[in-house]
Amino acid sequence: MSDKITVALGQMSCRVADKKHNTQTMKKKITQAKRIKADIIAFPELSLTGYVARDRAYELAEPVPNGPSVHEIEKIAKDEGIHIIFGMIERNAKATTILHNTAVLVGPKGYVGKYRKMHLPTHSVFEEKQYFRPGYQTPVFETEVGKIGIMICYDVYFPEITRLLSLKGAKLIVCISASPSVRRRFFETLTAARAIENTVFLAFVNLAGVEDGLQFWGGSRIIAPSGSVISEAKYDVDDFTSAIIDYADISRVQAWAPALRDLRPEIFTSLREEAENL
Amino acid sequence: MLLTKEALKLNLPLTTTRLKRFIRDYVKKTKAQGAVLNLSGGIDSSTAVALTTLALGKNKVLALSLPEKETHSPIDIKHTKMLSRKFGFHLETIDITKILQAYYKAIPAFDPNDRLCKGNVKARARMICLYYCANRQNKIVVGGSDKSETMMGYFTKWGDVAADISPLMDLYKTQVRQLAAYIGVPSEIIAKPSTPQLWPKQLAEDELGITYEILDLILLGLENFMAANEIAEQLNLPLKLVEGVKTRWLSSEHKRRMPLTMKMGYRTIGADFRLPYTPS
Repeated sequence: MSDKITVALGQMSCRVADKKHNTQTMKKKITQAKRIKADIIAFPELSLTGYVARDRAYELAEPVPNGPSVHEIEKIAKDEGIHIIFGMIERNAKATTILHNTAVLVGPKGYVGKYRKMHLPTHSVFEEKQYFRPGYQTPVFETEVGKIGIMICYDVYFPEITRLLSLKGAKLIVCISASPSVRRRFFETLTAARAIENTVFLAFVNLAGVEDGLQFWGGSRIIAPSGSVISEAKYDVDDFTSAIIDYADISRVQAWAPALRDLRPEIFTSLREEAENL
Repeated sequence: MLLTKEALKLNLPLTTTRLKRFIRDYVKKTKAQGAVLNLSGGIDSSTAVALTTLALGKNKVLALSLPEKETHSPIDIKHTKMLSRKFGFHLETIDITKILQAYYKAIPAFDPNDRLCKGNVKARARMICLYYCANRQNKIVVGGSDKSETMMGYFTKWGDVAADISPLMDLYKTQVRQLAAYIGVPSEIIAKPSTPQLWPKQLAEDELGITYEILDLILLGLENFMAANEIAEQLNLPLKLVEGVKTRWLSSEHKRRMPLTMKMGYRTIGADFRLPYTPS
């Protein structure tokens, strides 16, 4: 496995509930990614369906991995020889009335895995607990392009997720998002913070465009372990950005700011106790 | 939270870009041929028309001036024409006096001395004209309501608030003034006191009993879950005044929603039918 890979971010706007249209948008950006020889491309949260599907979530949900959309994008990943992360509404295979807000990872050899969003915002304009069951696992995927962790949007407010992913060995954490414009300054701060405190590469890919009066702020970016933004997309509108990341940079930054080395695990017990007693 | 003028300051370039995009996006998604708006010559409607014209282009915007005899204002008419010359949108005038007189005559219980009920007829008559023209031309109706008036319920139910989209509805009046100046609405229009034009010499701030400069700060506090006494203390206002604003805001929620119904079914309109507003 090479230490250097090319990461691409397909910042897109969606047509709500139009999976065919949104898949076409993704295909065009995958073609763009292949032209620059990208190894992996990530798409935003719920990029398959759009974010503001509301009650239509039930009809739009599909099983993962054995659903038509995963199969379609899996085929593209195989044909194009690229890893793809995208967001969709997952129908639970065991209890089909249960839905999840899921990120799917597929690659040149097929389906790799999925991550179900753990923190479901249900405040302000967000209604995710109305529809989704939270996830309970934080997998790190061992792939030909490195060890990859995934999180989704609101997860970024919770440092525990990126901490856990980095402790499990993730070197690149991909945060797929559907963040509206009123939240922009929070995400710009938090994504950099997560990269710094875990000395990982963090790729943040956000929706763009407008759905039901919500402007998604775009601003997708690839952040180095030092917190520097090494590439970024435009605000608000469809765009594409990419960067070559060198995993060797991680150890250089760790030597300078060894946050993982200096962790105090005994604090985690207190954290749990205090959180449970809130 | 500090309730100051600074707290209401807009990033004007970003606000303008996003509101224009919002209008364009909705027109595109609905496959409409453009927009129809009421243009009274007041700041809200003038800003809405100007913004919509900047968003869609002058050929896709029809502004309707809908004066009537009782509240006829030559200066407002002059301002509608001034705005039309400046921004280039199409302006049509429909005098609704005869429509109103027909309504008054046809309603057996009509009382000319009840100025509120009579005034509401005017607002609803204007709505009918707007929607008629919009339907005929396959355009959407863009509203000019602002956040201050909408939160206070200072509008006619199914009247002046009726629209397909209302791009200014998340801006307080004092913020609409900022936007208006930025996008080039003439200063004479911005400086005029607001009026719904339902009866002669009606002025919004007189009726509300408070200037928008103060009202907007009270409403900002309420928006941010501040208690009435906290707001009153910070702004050095009588508690009774702030509580009055809060009461008026809470009691006008019925004006901002679909009609209330009794929940009888599996999913109920206005309660738990949650569908995307915008067609895909």
